[in-house]
Amino acid sequence: MSTPAISIKNLTKVFPIPFRREKVVAVDDLSLVVEPGQVYGLLGPNGSGKSTTMKIVLGLVAPTAGETEIFGCDSTRVESREQVGFLPENPYFYKFLTGLETLEFYGKLCGLRGKPLNDRAKELLHLVRLENAADRRIGGYSKGMLQRIGLAQALIQEPRLLVLDEPTAGVDPAGSREIRDLILDFKGRGLTVLLCSHLLEQVQEICDRVGILHQGRLIREGRLDELISIENQTELIFENASPALIAEIRAKAAAGGARVVDERQPQQNLERFFLDVTGGPK
Amino acid sequence: MSNGVTHKAFSIARISAISSNTFLELVRQKVFSFMILFAALGIGASFVASSWQFQEQFQVLKDVSLGAMSVFSWLLATLATAIVIPKDIEERTLYTILAKPVSRLEYLLGKLFGVLSLLVVGIGLMSALFALVLYARGQIALAEAIREYPAGAELEAALAQIKATAFDARLVPAILIIFTKVAVCASLTLMISSFSTSWIFTVMISTVVYIIGHVQPIAREYWLTQTPIGVTPSPLLKNFLGFTAVIFPDFQMFNVVDEIVVGNAVPVSMFLESFGMGFGYVFVFTLVGYIFFSNREL
Repeated sequence: MSTPAISIKNLTKVFPIPFRREKVVAVDDLSLVVEPGQVYGLLGPNGSGKSTTMKIVLGLVAPTAGETEIFGCDSTRVESREQVGFLPENPYFYKFLTGLETLEFYGKLCGLRGKPLNDRAKELLHLVRLENAADRRIGGYSKGMLQRIGLAQALIQEPRLLVLDEPTAGVDPAGSREIRDLILDFKGRGLTVLLCSHLLEQVQEICDRVGILHQGRLIREGRLDELISIENQTELIFENASPALIAEIRAKAAAGGARVVDERQPQQNLERFFLDVTGGPK
Repeated sequence: MSNGVTHKAFSIARISAISSNTFLELVRQKVFSFMILFAALGIGASFVASSWQFQEQFQVLKDVSLGAMSVFSWLLATLATAIVIPKDIEERTLYTILAKPVSRLEYLLGKLFGVLSLLVVGIGLMSALFALVLYARGQIALAEAIREYPAGAELEAALAQIKATAFDARLVPAILIIFTKVAVCASLTLMISSFSTSWIFTVMISTVVYIIGHVQPIAREYWLTQTPIGVTPSPLLKNFLGFTAVIFPDFQMFNVVDEIVVGNAVPVSMFLESFGMGFGYVFVFTLVGYIFFSNREL
């Protein structure tokens, strides 16, 4: 069996409130495993402990109890971050640097130098479609461009794990679609992704597995298709079906002891409609 | 590891990347605008004193320039250091940096060296301006002496005296001591910043410690020497004085600069003591700052 990309065992984080006896339990005895190559969605309402869990995995916050490992390496150790790329929610980078300089700065932090660093930075700028903005200062970037340069910096050292906190927060539908496509592309390349998001539709579209946190506890966890499928129902979508054919199917269903629960005309979602009319990504 | 680079527990390259970025960040915030004020002060002082004896002229020029250099570089050290960490936290760039294989010690040292580089450049520029004004004033004084004295031994003596007064080689260690003093201030501010949540609080505490650091040796001297002969100071007073001496840096030891300005002889050991103590403080403050910062929840 392969080493999990992320392993969290009995993790608890308690924050004391200054000058008061009370304490806030942000994460309560959390255990979960993210296998290599998975896109794992960590869901939960505000204050459910998602960000704290992520910060502990990244070594930014120390756990009160429990263990977290990244590819078998204790995540409190600095070297565990060799394997991780992180994009925080609403990231800001140094405004005085250009896109290329930003990637080179983060590359240097990962031990890259010279031509290999420059080549890698340019490759990533191409991947996130920011080649034309490579020499522009970050201060002039739009929200969507910031998220994309954030993704590029997260990938600079070719990590095996990406941790993304609300990667499409505040981004317009076209930008959001581009970021989703990039995440699907990373998945195709075998990267493991831990995604925290409030956008459930987006999570449903790209995640293999989800965990739902509520008040610091993991209340549900499993494969997405298993969690949300309704086992005793089947969905068929026909094209050009005549009313007579529909009537015949209804009759056969009734004869076979099945009940037609719903019958409606499928609709494209609003996002697809919006992207079609505004000429966004297909 | 993924990119084939072996992880080093401590990397000069990572510190250098953070420090050069910090330096660039501060430079682009136009922190060197104060140079205009410094130049105005130096040139102004040289004009105000132009009607005085040349000894007085150079005395005033050195006094004003080194004083201004000291004040401006202290302001630069305190304010620049106070903003670097809170800004990274506020804008979440700290998360993206520490989520890379960068230790908190490397981050802290990178920030400190970035500010120290800024101070080196700032003090270097002020020194160059100071040297320029000093040179120009020296040339004027030499020309005036040539006009005033007939050729001969008297003129030679006057020229030699002007040269000796204007171009004092001890100004170089004096400037290095100013740098050492502000390096202590920068590391002190960084230490406070490592646990503080507001840059205003950091600046206030750093300023208070700076003032106490100047006053406490005088107070200590006064209390200890005012105790009547034969009476030992109370243990409480001794402990209090000992405590303040350990906690607060003794900024009076950098007053050797004043001795140079007035032309007093300063033994080399005094310079070395000031440098040694200064960099000792920098080490201790950075270490304590690291202990605070490594336990800080981000």
